Amino acid sequence: MPDLFKLILQIAVILAVCRISGSIFRRFGQPRVVGEMFAGVLLGPSLLGWMAPGLSAYLFPPASLGFLNALSQIGVVVFMFLVGLGINPNELKKHGHAAVLTSHVSITAPFVLAAFLSLYLYPRLSDDSVAFTSFALFMGSAMSVTAFPVLARILIERGLLQSRLGTVAIASAAVDDVTGWCILAYIVVLTRAAHSGTPIWMTIGGIVVFALIMIYGVRHLLGGMEVSYRKWGGLSENRLAFMLLLVFGSALCTEWLGLHLLFGAFMMGAIMPKEQKFVQYVLDRFETITVTLLLPLFFAFTGLRTNIGLVKGVEMWMYCGLIVLVATVGKLGGSTLASWLTGMPVREAAGLGTLMNTRGLMELVILDIGLDIKVISPALFSMMVVMALVTTFMATPLLVWFCPDRILRPELAKIPTKDAPLPVSIIESTGGSAA
Amino acid sequence: MSHTNRNFILAYILLVGLPVVGLIGVLKSGRTLTAPISVDGLWRLQADPVRLAALPCGKTLAENPDTALAISQSGKNFTLSFSNGPKSDASGVLNGNTLKASLVPSIAWSAEAGCGDGRELSLVATVDPKADPRSLVGLLSVNHCPACASVEFHAVRQTPPLKKGSH
Repeated sequence: MPDLFKLILQIAVILAVCRISGSIFRRFGQPRVVGEMFAGVLLGPSLLGWMAPGLSAYLFPPASLGFLNALSQIGVVVFMFLVGLGINPNELKKHGHAAVLTSHVSITAPFVLAAFLSLYLYPRLSDDSVAFTSFALFMGSAMSVTAFPVLARILIERGLLQSRLGTVAIASAAVDDVTGWCILAYIVVLTRAAHSGTPIWMTIGGIVVFALIMIYGVRHLLGGMEVSYRKWGGLSENRLAFMLLLVFGSALCTEWLGLHLLFGAFMMGAIMPKEQKFVQYVLDRFETITVTLLLPLFFAFTGLRTNIGLVKGVEMWMYCGLIVLVATVGKLGGSTLASWLTGMPVREAAGLGTLMNTRGLMELVILDIGLDIKVISPALFSMMVVMALVTTFMATPLLVWFCPDRILRPELAKIPTKDAPLPVSIIESTGGSAA
Repeated sequence: MSHTNRNFILAYILLVGLPVVGLIGVLKSGRTLTAPISVDGLWRLQADPVRLAALPCGKTLAENPDTALAISQSGKNFTLSFSNGPKSDASGVLNGNTLKASLVPSIAWSAEAGCGDGRELSLVATVDPKADPRSLVGLLSVNHCPACASVEFHAVRQTPPLKKGSH
């Protein structure tokens, strides 16, 4: 039985710290999510636990964290559904070669560099219970992820949404996310199958069957919801509850198949109808409570697992610096090079690379999975959280530097939000908290 | 094939195809690497309770027969705590099969008779990597106490971490 007083006190403290930190970061031109991620780290052993261990132990005793984790995971499940909902594969087709090359290079470049870095880090930060292949593939997928909600928010704030830079960035980020999650799914299957003793072909076979049922069965069922929305201008509470049931059902299926809850939620979102008004309607129903209440709990829980104190000594900080450098060179450099080669002016290409280098909450979600399945160690987890914070934090100032208004002036015509591409309208409605 | 399409295919091969080939090479060469031995997890501690109780700071440990060592590992470094036991702040280093750690008892623990005055527990142990589950054999001693005899202990891992993913 949870200690309700303690749980509600924890939620109150987390919400207050996240809102304050988010507002402070907003004042400095940063998306709110950067402040909320930072707030999570502040509440963990890195700061509160270090400066006031008594208060930290009172507020977040280890025995109480299970309930906080459960609530935060529900939030992330719904969030991943919303992320999948916001992804529209048709966006990529509109932008042809530039988006295809940019998105694929923005995955392969950081992925390969991360694999090379793994040759150096594996003997130093891992142990013999983790195979090098799993370690390197995880590092690759963690470094190649892009947080398109943050990216979209930055584009809105700079009025670049409908520019070439904006549309290519949105399309590429969507491809990155889908690819990154597919690779991560493979790693989770490898690791869990080896642990559970279930033959890997059974796990993969089950996932393929599940995916086929989702795409060719459930998807048509969901089409009926869109028809109902068009007919009545909304969905009944029963239908919305049924939608949530499908999300949780799908999440449970992927967990049961040996994958992870979040893949099912993401897939359910990805196969939802993509008609813009319908998507916006669903987002409006589910997003506020997820973004304002449940995601801050996830930030806090991640912060409680992040112990910067484990990164001690010159050597460890050098590893951390290397991780940030490789992640940035691979993602920012790779995307910049690819978009420049496809004809984008160099400053604009660098701006695109900067946007693709934004990792935000998506990175934290992936890292949490990595720590859960023990592919990464606690110290490496903390270093990767630092990398996520640094790369997300640097996005706005770097973009302003690479692409000052005078460079993009012809494209800076104000565009009403309602005409914006789909994922961006989503973020606009939440004040950019989702990342 | 148009000029644009040809350039696109060339760029794609150069920027996507070649790195993927490089990735395969890295994954193959990485298989020969060896990482530090895994000691992460919960280790059930077994020691002579009489000798343990005679050790400064050892009485609290001896009074908790269910005490286990909880090791959180990051490469060669690890942090250590007692599950079902007294609170402490401990970190250590793994060198080959040998663990070395020093434990600073918490304020509550150091209230035990003879445990104050900056006492630290020192743990030196050797892992048997061939045993399944893995086991530890080592010595627990106290600093600034030449008269105190070290206590031998044996520990068996309770919660082995996930096994290797496929190569």
